[in-house]
Amino acid sequence: MERLLQYVFDGLSLGSIYALLALGLVVVFRGTGHLNFAQGEMAMICTFFTWQFHAWGLPLVVSVLLGMVAGFVLGAGVEVSLIRRVAKKSEAGVFVVSIAMFLGFNSLAGMIWGNLPPEEMPSLFPDEPDDFVKIFGAVWRYEYIGIMIVALLLMGLLFLLFAKTKFGLAMRAVASNPESARLVGIPTGVVLAASWGIAAAMGALSGAMVGGLAGELTSLLMFTPFIYASASATLGGFDSPGGAVIAGLLIGVGEQLAAGYAPGWIGQELRLGVALVTIFVVLLFKPSGLFGSTKVERV
Amino acid sequence: MVKVNQGSPQHWALRTLGVALIALVVVWVPTQMSTSRIGQFSDAFVLIIAAMSLNLVLGFTGQISIGHSAFFGIGGYTAAILIKDHGWSPGYTFYAAAVIAFVVGCLIALPALRIKGIYLALVTLAVAVLFPTLVKWKKLAWLTDGAKGIDSVRYDEIPVWPILGELKGRDGRAVFAYWLAFVLLVITYLVCRGLVKSRFGRSLVAIRDNETAAAVMGVNLTVTKVLVFGASAALCALAGVLSTLRTGVITPEGQYVTLLGSIVFLLIMVVGGAGTLWGPIVGGLVYVWLDNTTRGFGSESDGVIGFLFGWSDQSPATLILGLALVIIMFAAPYGLVGLIKRLWAKVVIVVPKPAGTSLPTTGH
Repeated sequence: MERLLQYVFDGLSLGSIYALLALGLVVVFRGTGHLNFAQGEMAMICTFFTWQFHAWGLPLVVSVLLGMVAGFVLGAGVEVSLIRRVAKKSEAGVFVVSIAMFLGFNSLAGMIWGNLPPEEMPSLFPDEPDDFVKIFGAVWRYEYIGIMIVALLLMGLLFLLFAKTKFGLAMRAVASNPESARLVGIPTGVVLAASWGIAAAMGALSGAMVGGLAGELTSLLMFTPFIYASASATLGGFDSPGGAVIAGLLIGVGEQLAAGYAPGWIGQELRLGVALVTIFVVLLFKPSGLFGSTKVERV
Repeated sequence: MVKVNQGSPQHWALRTLGVALIALVVVWVPTQMSTSRIGQFSDAFVLIIAAMSLNLVLGFTGQISIGHSAFFGIGGYTAAILIKDHGWSPGYTFYAAAVIAFVVGCLIALPALRIKGIYLALVTLAVAVLFPTLVKWKKLAWLTDGAKGIDSVRYDEIPVWPILGELKGRDGRAVFAYWLAFVLLVITYLVCRGLVKSRFGRSLVAIRDNETAAAVMGVNLTVTKVLVFGASAALCALAGVLSTLRTGVITPEGQYVTLLGSIVFLLIMVVGGAGTLWGPIVGGLVYVWLDNTTRGFGSESDGVIGFLFGWSDQSPATLILGLALVIIMFAAPYGLVGLIKRLWAKVVIVVPKPAGTSLPTTGH
């Protein structure tokens, strides 16, 4: 019982990071209909920005906020300067450009920060060995609790943004029909740039939390979380923000349970495999994810 | 500007000239160049074969796959295991690898029947990430040797080929690997050409351009998609076998076995020209040249390159690849082959035969 509770709790905490990143993918997909393959690498570069601000002497919380601002500028800038222009030429081109950004950002981070000794990344939350409470016998580390609260808070804010504000309405309008949205006077360009910016800023936040968990920064920081996030977005359905969050948490809990209860077979190495096989099976039966809407095409 | 009729003696002369030029280069490389240079060309040939296989699925059929590194790995591991543990003669491993990869490719294509675009990209992404993880899995270590991979895969006797004579030593092996890769490249090219120009190939392009219309016209979507995925996987596995035979090593983190491999194949195909037969060939040669040239850039370089990249100890090779990819997408959306065709059209125009004229006339 304690073990089960422990796995579920750890899973929910990790899952909330996946959910945050997955939400970024979904925001971009709903806005522009593209998969941003470089989402993880953009988050990674923003985490290095955060680290740099902190190294210059700013308090960590301020650095993280500045990192998120840098993420917003980076995301919006990429959309305006590259994605928008290439999308006019070809749809597949956007995918190719995002792969190019994946390579470019990864290499750039290595070139700028890679030669320093491994960066120590401080955690946003208390992370000394004895920073935990025991609830029903399970260890609840403050860091994990903090991550979960921040992630849930941000997701709550996002849902308010989508559902209650004029900007959110504009975003939904652009997502459902860009042509008509433009006709009724919505500045589609601004909305699209902002979606990319928001997604990248969320990436920056999850990057700071992943970096704090890992304790050090490398250019590979966000690769595995990105794979988990894309698995979550796929499982939940790429056009469903709620689905992405639920799927992220499910994958987090599922992999902890699988790794914990079958250490001989699955263990730590095959945790990722469990997530990937799950989406493979789900897609066989529900091709647009658990909560995604089926696309109906007019012939 | 010159106009040449298709099939006229002038057209044939141009074609012969082209083939002769290529043949000259192909023979010149292993006879005149250094062993390391020959190795780079063999590497390029391996990558070209892989990119050609990807081109069948992505370029011609329009199904995004970033999972081809797994098929490459399947080929590589099949060869290594069969040669080292079971004492197979290397030649037969090509057949075994192709059959295994064909079956796996068909299985992976099954969800591809129902899912499209972004979801398919992510399923194949999952395959690419899953393969190295599975290979490293401790329950499979008896087969794959886990994380350290399989090394010193050796074939003892190099067959004596008629014209090349006896090849000996390290240099001889490099030349042998070069010719082996070249022969396989030609075979792969001919297979792709045969597929694409056939009825099957037309249905691939029809699926790419409009799936619904293709189905209405009588293309069997299920069979076509599964078969093309299988065939593509089999061809990619051949590249994997070749790579293992050439280097004698395969590891789960090997260059083209991880997701990075899939990205490299995609890059080669896009840079050369997706959906063209010559695209992967041009792209592969350009990629290997660019990679080998830019790898050395860094703090030791001088001049413009030193100014641009001298501030970092790490090689900017990957960054430059990324930039090149973006530039290509903007400047030449149809790849280098598209660009060359456009420029060539300003010099020589090949006028196609009017339709129907080559039919035998029936007497009246």
